[in-house]
Amino acid sequence: MKNLINFFKSFLLLEFLKGFSVTGHYFFARHITVEYPEEKTPQSFRFRGLHAQRRYPNGEERCIGCKLCEAVCPALAIKIEVAEREDGTRRTTQYDIDLVKCIFCGFCEESCPVDAIVETRIYEYHGEKRGDLYYTKPMLLAIGDKYEEQIAKDRAADAKYR
Amino acid sequence: MINIEIDGKQIQTENGSTVIEAAHSAGITIPHFCYHKKLSIAANCRMCLVQVEKAPKPLPACATPVAEGMKVFTHSEQAVKAQKGVMEFLLINHPLDCPICDQGGECTLQDMSIGYGGGHSRYHEEKRMVLSKDIGPLVSAEEMSRCINCTRCVRFGQEIGGQMELGQAFRGEHAEILSFVSGAVNSELSGNMIDLCPVGALTSKPFRYKARSWELSRRRSVSAHDSLGSNLAVQTKNNRVLRVLPIENEDINECWLSDRDRFAYEGLNTADRLTKPMVKQDGKWLEVEWQVALEYAANGLRQISEEAGVEQVGALATANSTLEELYLLQKLMRGIGSQNVDFRLRQSDFSSDSKQQGAPWLGMSVADISRADRFLIVGSFLRKDHPLLAARIRLAVKKGAQANIIHSADDDLLMKVANKGIVAPDAMVETLTQVSKALMAEKQGAQNTSGEAAAIAKSLAGGQHVAVLLGNFAQQHPQAAQLQALAQQIAALSNGKFGFFGEAANSVGGYLAQATPGAKGLNAASMLANPRKAYVLLNVEPELDCADPQQAIASIKTADTVIVLSAYKHSAMEYADVLLPIAPFTETSGTFVSTEGRVQSFKGAVKPLGEARPAWKVLRVLGNLLKLDGFNQDTSEAVRDETLKDIDVTARLNNAIGGVEAKPSPAASGLQRVSDVPIYATDAVVRRSAPLQATSDAAPPKAWMHSEELKKLGLQAGTAAKISQGQGSVNLLAEVDDKLPRGVVRVATGHTATAALGAMFGTITVERA
Repeated sequence: MKNLINFFKSFLLLEFLKGFSVTGHYFFARHITVEYPEEKTPQSFRFRGLHAQRRYPNGEERCIGCKLCEAVCPALAIKIEVAEREDGTRRTTQYDIDLVKCIFCGFCEESCPVDAIVETRIYEYHGEKRGDLYYTKPMLLAIGDKYEEQIAKDRAADAKYR
Repeated sequence: MINIEIDGKQIQTENGSTVIEAAHSAGITIPHFCYHKKLSIAANCRMCLVQVEKAPKPLPACATPVAEGMKVFTHSEQAVKAQKGVMEFLLINHPLDCPICDQGGECTLQDMSIGYGGGHSRYHEEKRMVLSKDIGPLVSAEEMSRCINCTRCVRFGQEIGGQMELGQAFRGEHAEILSFVSGAVNSELSGNMIDLCPVGALTSKPFRYKARSWELSRRRSVSAHDSLGSNLAVQTKNNRVLRVLPIENEDINECWLSDRDRFAYEGLNTADRLTKPMVKQDGKWLEVEWQVALEYAANGLRQISEEAGVEQVGALATANSTLEELYLLQKLMRGIGSQNVDFRLRQSDFSSDSKQQGAPWLGMSVADISRADRFLIVGSFLRKDHPLLAARIRLAVKKGAQANIIHSADDDLLMKVANKGIVAPDAMVETLTQVSKALMAEKQGAQNTSGEAAAIAKSLAGGQHVAVLLGNFAQQHPQAAQLQALAQQIAALSNGKFGFFGEAANSVGGYLAQATPGAKGLNAASMLANPRKAYVLLNVEPELDCADPQQAIASIKTADTVIVLSAYKHSAMEYADVLLPIAPFTETSGTFVSTEGRVQSFKGAVKPLGEARPAWKVLRVLGNLLKLDGFNQDTSEAVRDETLKDIDVTARLNNAIGGVEAKPSPAASGLQRVSDVPIYATDAVVRRSAPLQATSDAAPPKAWMHSEELKKLGLQAGTAAKISQGQGSVNLLAEVDDKLPRGVVRVATGHTATAALGAMFGTITVERA
């Protein structure tokens, strides 16, 4: 009996049609994959990508070297050295993020009392050799300068949920 | 004893104690800012408000004495409401920018605000602003807006430091902490205000913005700069010492630390640190491998001892070296057959060596000093040489003890001095003899005595616990043995104890390590007076560390081989043949024996800089290269155990001296030199600490004289004078100190500006420059 059923199933190509119906369903359904890199998925304003250091509109760097991000970083990816600047303010002399270690948890951004360290929407970056993903303070500031408009917009969008 | 109840817990406490003391002894914490167990009660922060049964209002726990049957609630609704209210008031004017504050992470206010602060501020008006102040190179008062006016710093100055250098001016919202006319805080204990300040108003200037408290690792250590043996927490980050804090030890340093111990670490990693072994060849210094340098040193020693005789080799070490280093140095010297080893570089009278039974020490425990009621302090620049012992004596005097001073200078000790005999150095034996005689007369019931000696005798005779203490000056005195014998006599007559303030961290340890020449060898003074062919110098800067710098340098320069074990490239570059880089106390393990005979070992806090190595290892390998027996220790602990193996430390501590007769010397002709070792010139590390060298205590030495002496010489205060001693002369500013006795000139030693001069005592000439 069992053999007979199996014979008819394969004779009528039932299994084949079943599989084909799945393919057919997706063939006509709305596509959810995007053609990266020509197309890109939409991003949340809370997207946690490449880090950046921000400045105030007058050009002054925001970071005050409190070291809270360094303390909170679960991956120990941040290294900070602080000294007194000529004008007596507390500033970092070194602010490095090792993106190889970073797990993009966003705690640094969360802990920052002055919104200096932020994670941007950028995820398209790479390193070609060892050390390329070790980001120093000038690199982070440069990213901040370049994308400040977007960063500011994202912070503003998120502000009402905080 | 009284029974009270705190939070339902039955507590027995002493009558007269306060609620906060009772609570703390029972392990119940009450939040507080202005209260400090070592300071008087101010009760001005109001943070410790608690509810007391039947009291209509909350009471401050720090100022409320306990009473029988008292019921205290520290966490009741009323108490917590009061505490939260106080916290809100405190935070009204306190800046809320903890992230940029240097105290962040170790701030009492920050911690308390977690427990008692509100989530948001109801205060939207402008905050009070207090201008920053410059109060010297050690304590930063940059951010006085953070001050919560607890007045701990003010009370510390008044009560422990002995001088009120900070005070609170104005009232209400305008109240602020100000320094007085001088502008700076010059106390040698000022660093403690940093620890006391519960907020970030007073912080450490050298440490400013260097690191956060949570980044630092702590290592226990022992102070290497004075003989008290203060317990230290050396805080390090990335293999670098960034801060030194006290570790509380009630029997030694209580919870304090002198500025010298606290800020000396800044001298550890200076540019002139020696980081590679160096050998001089054809007048040029070459950096070489350890093996080469050590073999060079061993060959040098072997050659001199074979060619010129082993007695031509001498070893000198400072008393800041560890027990292990001193022990191995003397073992090395005795191994090659020389007895010439000494660590008492500033001593000039060694006649007590054969007459003394044990190692000279404090003669009592440090805690005993607090219990003494009569002091006779002979020859000590007390405040500068022993800042924390001075603070202990100051507190004892406050409680009613009488301090009597015999000395050649009359510096302000910031305490009430009952009687003082300020005499020239050559009259010290005479004065002490008079005191002894007067004491004998006093015991026999003499009446109508007069004079300073009699007053001192009377004071001593009236005491229950008499302490006769000989300072550094008395130990360096050319008649030190006689002073010791007289002190012994006076102590016996007044049923008291007598002892020495040890000069350096290991002044007692040097004796235990047998780093003394013994009967056959030459002591430090004769080693330098009779030039040797070879010298081994451990931690020594001869022109700064020796009793007679002129002679020391001259002798060492004539030597054929000079082996220098030093952490720094100093003037040794001129006369040494091989420089072996060794580690200062933060980079090596070791042991210091404090002046009260306390053996304290410590571990290295950081790795030695560059290729520097702990000196005990260097000496050990040098012993191996010279093929000596007993140089196989693997650890410094093994060296320590070997050193102290057959020694009962307490039994070895003995100040008793016999067979010395006090013979007052004939008055010297001409001017006599009185020399102190300035507080920040005591050892190599301290001398290189930039913040300490910026203090007023480290000002360039001057020639201090009585105004009449100055007039006799035809000099004017503030003008240059030519000071000569032996072959050398220096130009210093002449200055008036009318408290000095006639016939003396006070010129500091241990400073490069006076290194060209001769002995610390003796005649000196002053002329118009």
